[in-house]
Amino acid sequence: MSSHHESILREPLITGKNITYAKITDDVLMPVENKPNKAWWIGFIVAAMGACLWLFAVSYTFWNGIGAWGLNKTVGWAWDITGFVWWVGIGHAGTLISAVLLLFRQNWRNSINRSAEAMTIFAVICAATYVVSHMGRPWLAYWPLPLPNQFGSLWVNFNSPLVWDVFAISTYFSVSLVFWYVGLLPDIAAIRDRATGLRRRIYSILSFGWNGSVKTWQRFETVSLILAGVATPLVLSVHTIVSMDFATSLEPGWHTTIFPPYFVAGAIFSGFAMVQTLLLVTRKVLGLENYITMFHIESMNKIIVLTGSIVGVAYLSEFFIAWYSGVEYEQYTFLHRFTGPYWWAGSMMYGCNVLMPQLFWFKKIRTNIAISWCLSIVVNIGMWFERFVIIVLSLNRDYLPSSWAMFYPTWVDISIFVGSIGLFFTLFLLFIRVLPSVAMAEVRLLVKTSSEQSKKKLLDEGKVKNEEAEYYVESLEKFDSVQQADYVKI
Amino acid sequence: MDSKKKYWKGLEEVQKTPEFIEKNKNEFAEPLPIEELLEGTGINAPTPRRDFLKAMGFGIGAVSLAACNVAPVVKSVPYLIKPEEVTPGIPNYYTSSYKGGSILVKTREGRPIKVEGNPNCLVNQGGLNAQAQASVLDLYDISKLKGPLYKGVEYSWEDLDQQAKDDLAKVQASGKTIAIISSTVNSPSTKSVIADFASKYPATKHVMVDPISYSGIIKANEASFGKAVLPQYHFEKANVIVSFAADFLGSWISPVQFTKQYVSTRNMASLKEKKMSRHIHFEAGMSLTGSKADSRIATKLSEEGPALVALYNELTGSSIGNNPTIESKAVASAIKLVAKELLNAKGAALVVSGSNDIATQTIVNAINSYLGSYGTTIDLDNPSHQFAGSDADFDALLADMKSGKVGAVLFLNSNPAYNHPKAKEFVDALKKVTFTASFADRVDETATLCQIVAPNSNYLESWGDENAIDGYYTIVQPTINPIYNTRQAEVSLLTWSDQPIKDYYAYVRANWEKTVLTVAGKKWDDVLQAGFIALPTKAASSYNFAGNVNDAASSVLSLSKSLNKDIQLHIYQSVAVGSGDQGNNPYLQETPDPVSKVTWDNYVAINPKYANTLGISQFDVVTVKNNNYAIDLPVLYQPGQAHGTISVALGYGRTNAGKVGDMVGQNAYPFLTFANGAYQYVNTITLAKTGGYEELAQTQTHHSLEGRNIVRETTFAEYKKDPAHGSGHHGKKHENVDLWGKYDQPGQNWVMAIDLNACTGCGACIVACSTENNVPVVGKDEVRRRREMHWIRIDRYYTFNEEGKEITEEEELKHIDGKFENVSVIHQPMMCQHCDHAPCETVCPVLATVHSNEGLNHMAYNRCVGTRYCANNCPYKVRRFNWFNYWNDSRFDNYLNNEFTQLVLNPDVTTRFRGVMEKCSMCIQRIQAGKLQAKLEKRVMKDGDVKVACQQTCPANAIIFGDANDPNSEVSKALTNERTFYVLEELNVLPGVGYMTKVTNTGLQEA
Repeated sequence: MSSHHESILREPLITGKNITYAKITDDVLMPVENKPNKAWWIGFIVAAMGACLWLFAVSYTFWNGIGAWGLNKTVGWAWDITGFVWWVGIGHAGTLISAVLLLFRQNWRNSINRSAEAMTIFAVICAATYVVSHMGRPWLAYWPLPLPNQFGSLWVNFNSPLVWDVFAISTYFSVSLVFWYVGLLPDIAAIRDRATGLRRRIYSILSFGWNGSVKTWQRFETVSLILAGVATPLVLSVHTIVSMDFATSLEPGWHTTIFPPYFVAGAIFSGFAMVQTLLLVTRKVLGLENYITMFHIESMNKIIVLTGSIVGVAYLSEFFIAWYSGVEYEQYTFLHRFTGPYWWAGSMMYGCNVLMPQLFWFKKIRTNIAISWCLSIVVNIGMWFERFVIIVLSLNRDYLPSSWAMFYPTWVDISIFVGSIGLFFTLFLLFIRVLPSVAMAEVRLLVKTSSEQSKKKLLDEGKVKNEEAEYYVESLEKFDSVQQADYVKI
Repeated sequence: MDSKKKYWKGLEEVQKTPEFIEKNKNEFAEPLPIEELLEGTGINAPTPRRDFLKAMGFGIGAVSLAACNVAPVVKSVPYLIKPEEVTPGIPNYYTSSYKGGSILVKTREGRPIKVEGNPNCLVNQGGLNAQAQASVLDLYDISKLKGPLYKGVEYSWEDLDQQAKDDLAKVQASGKTIAIISSTVNSPSTKSVIADFASKYPATKHVMVDPISYSGIIKANEASFGKAVLPQYHFEKANVIVSFAADFLGSWISPVQFTKQYVSTRNMASLKEKKMSRHIHFEAGMSLTGSKADSRIATKLSEEGPALVALYNELTGSSIGNNPTIESKAVASAIKLVAKELLNAKGAALVVSGSNDIATQTIVNAINSYLGSYGTTIDLDNPSHQFAGSDADFDALLADMKSGKVGAVLFLNSNPAYNHPKAKEFVDALKKVTFTASFADRVDETATLCQIVAPNSNYLESWGDENAIDGYYTIVQPTINPIYNTRQAEVSLLTWSDQPIKDYYAYVRANWEKTVLTVAGKKWDDVLQAGFIALPTKAASSYNFAGNVNDAASSVLSLSKSLNKDIQLHIYQSVAVGSGDQGNNPYLQETPDPVSKVTWDNYVAINPKYANTLGISQFDVVTVKNNNYAIDLPVLYQPGQAHGTISVALGYGRTNAGKVGDMVGQNAYPFLTFANGAYQYVNTITLAKTGGYEELAQTQTHHSLEGRNIVRETTFAEYKKDPAHGSGHHGKKHENVDLWGKYDQPGQNWVMAIDLNACTGCGACIVACSTENNVPVVGKDEVRRRREMHWIRIDRYYTFNEEGKEITEEEELKHIDGKFENVSVIHQPMMCQHCDHAPCETVCPVLATVHSNEGLNHMAYNRCVGTRYCANNCPYKVRRFNWFNYWNDSRFDNYLNNEFTQLVLNPDVTTRFRGVMEKCSMCIQRIQAGKLQAKLEKRVMKDGDVKVACQQTCPANAIIFGDANDPNSEVSKALTNERTFYVLEELNVLPGVGYMTKVTNTGLQEA
């Protein structure tokens, strides 16, 4: 791959000068091989406090019962399943980036896939905690698994979408974990090779005896490809199945055939927003601007605007179908999102998910780091509200008006949700401390072909046409990590 | 096969070495180290690895086997000598009597666990209201006294008796009165005991006073007809019923009896014959009866009197009271229409009034007499003895007490310090009495003021009798020995008056044998078996009004005029909590009010539009105040309430009821006023906001139908043309397509039919279901969080008749400028519908809820992991989740969760652990019991073998349960009725509970 040059018209995937394989390793392993800085500690302490809050709130729930939450006879799910779907959705971007983009040979994924995959795993962990903690009798959480048992011929209910969910989530988690870990192997080996003492021993074990031989690399590539193939359908299936928890039910507002594609689009939407949120901070704090460039940021923003628009179309078709179906209950449910006592939740959902991302049509906004970061958070707030609206606003006013009820969260509901964010960031911060947050091996592949310096070399050598060079230089203007002065003379 | 081959063990054997020969002599070639081992050196020697592993394996195995026994030790003591009549697991039923109605008490292993109406009872005909259903819980109330008290100190009965005798003798000697203050006593034996007591202490005076007084009716009858009785009403014989604020289906005199009568002209059978009574209701507050009326006219309290006088004038053509003017046009025009209808129905008409005013009741008597009701719809010859209290007698006694003429007061089922309007005066006057004793079962508001508290036994621990209506005698027999050191009040009275018979059983029996049994020609055992004896009734004759209608009219009008200032206060009895006697009963406190759906509180009911003009909003805490008394209560928007009025329930605000009932709501008794010889349940007050806010605990918070066809209605005129009118079933039925396979249902297919026209929404079914199925009480906070656990609920919807339209949508109501007085109400019992395509079943991940081949939706609590998916997917929202461990959580100790109260639990139904779902099981334990009975009797089950708890108690017989596979069963017939529809049938979940349309008899309005 490194034998030929990429077209000058393509924007560089790595910026900066004097990027060597060793420099990449140095840059990426900087946080792993050094004592953490103040920023990390502050972040970690805040996150760990959140995780402790989560632990306390979940323990409180286990001790007292689900009554500690704000649920009632009408609204049987609220923040719990909202949180669950939200986290599972967030996880989706990781799989999409690592698997689908790998299959499509989108090399720009190389710099972000590692963090995105880690995010997937941590998000699925957060989601899974909700699955267990929302149960009335969590100590029996293994019962929905089809395990051989001595309860007679008692099996699980294969008709139940919750059982499908169990399969979907556990498959998703294991495949993601394996995929992520396999991808880590060469990088762990790199750490091993540079480490000494106990660290070396640990990373040695973790690296599964990676020896860097051609055969190893070849196998590595094959396994990655196979796993990408396995993971790709999961991108679609997991959230499809999660959506079936709702779609196969009878509740107005849930009973909708559009849910699978709508949920998958929403998941990717929220996932990319979360990747954006994380990486914009990570690249700054860890000084990875050269590897996670404006090109990446802009690409992700484009995906956000695309998926956000798909979600918007899905919303519109929901409204259309509710009207077209003539089912009064469904019509009421959708109207209720604007006119009912929860109008503010409906407005948050449509405003944050459909209207706000449309700003990304403007290049200025797409390439503005601060606005991108804010919008990425807005999107995830909106996506949380989307799930809240779907779950609570459908349940709280369904068929019989006599049972209509409001849901008010308790401090436990709020603590578990805030705590789960703390848990997520605790895991993520630990991850960037002990494992490379950028896939070094994969980024190295880009140095010779797609990096700024290789393209600069072509320019300097005068091997490109003038108008192409102009076009290229123009495209570099948005990069905050490119020394614009270097290109003035051209 | 003798072989000469020889196999050597080794070279040593071939060579026959001396060592070999030496060793081979023994069985083991090498000596075993047994001795060495036993000598001690072996034990101390280092353990070989294998032995160590063996020992460890055995050790761990043994320890883990031993550790498997986690079951706690439960001590159960078997019967040493098994009582003949008790078979563990088989319930015994005993007849008894509650408030004059014959009942059956179900006992299991010697404990009463459920009360049911005696189907042969002449009063209640098998039905029971919520209070009677809940009464079994009063037996297991932990707040009761555990023994007698003297001046607050525990005493022995002997010492107490001596003290009482000495004191009574002193009072007798001093020549002062010994007063026995009781609520109505209609028990012949108790009356006889009191007479015996009086013969020993001639200074005895027995005063009966009821918290809810009917002395106005009794006095009025005395004035009108010379008969001081509470008549028996016959709603079943009336074609037109006009009620002036008499809540006869909910709380007035004998609601269960009246419900049975009332429904008999409005139920399925009656409608089939195209017959239906017409019911017109004038009232200020929205009562249960008003909610069932065909026409309800919101009437201010100050207009009830003029309206009644106007009705009399309209009927008779006279002009008493100078033809009073009625402000409200609606009331005035209604009176004209009503008069016409009443005249058309002469001889089959009935006018009743809920007022306790003598003059008002006199006019009612005049109207009824004019309409020829006496002898047909009103029976003065077989009067009711359910209430005989006299307000005037009590006031006379109070005056005597103040002037120091009373030396002793004994309280029997009476708590005037709480429930008498002049409680304050009374408490002060009581200080002048030298000897005071209470027979209360707890230290209630009055007992705290008494020297002696001689706790009475619960009725389930007592012998006794009752005489609710003339010629109808019921027996009270104990179903358990007194649990605490309590004694029947009658025994105390007998002891204190040194009577020869102190065994009350013998006393009651002797009394019966002397009187009723001789007349009836029956034996004692017959009574115990049947529960009652009914002597032949007298023929009801007609009576001519002989009172002074003019005086009455002017008295009524002046009373009405006095109400026409400030805000008019309507004081009423809540259907569940009643007068407050059972204030410590958690089942009753958690039974929602049939109309407002509020639990655990009383409140200021006010019309929302009127509240707006006062600047008051829902749940604002307001001070209700007049010159003498003030209370702070939260506000409830009550559509249908007359403008200018508020309603406040009695029975709340107890301070010494017990752990459950103390400080629930506020006491409204002091607002009653004494006027014209009786207590008036009306007053005028002012309202002032306190700035506080208190959300009431309602089980339903959305009150309009939103135009949905989940309840279906028609009018009687339309029904006569087309019985299916309004049911949504006309012409060819839509053909449904199923994804699911059909299953055979051999045997039974349990279904239910509910007649919306019969159901009054009284809530008796809720309590019956809770006691039968061990449904926990969760308390006010949890109800406020919408987590009540009731398996059956009664949905109540308002339709607002404004601007010539029927409005059911919340959004539309916001833009309506009406008065919200003209409101129609519908009640719909809702429980698990046992859908054949149950949405809950498909979504349960662990198959905890599954369908039986008998059409029931089962719940396997043990399998449930508590995902709540089933409850979410239930279109009827009837599933209930155990948010907490209600049976082992100290927060719920006051309700049912304590060792003593838990004795009330039905052992056939398991209590549910936290985290599992529960719901109506169609009383599966009763179905099983019915099957078992049929099996024992070697027959197939027949219709009526199984009655579910809600059906059994329903005073309106609105619920029919049975086998749909039997075409002749009552339920099959009901479900083939043209009026039948299924709630949300368009979802094709195939619910097993069919409903019948509500039919409203709009009468002349249509013409």
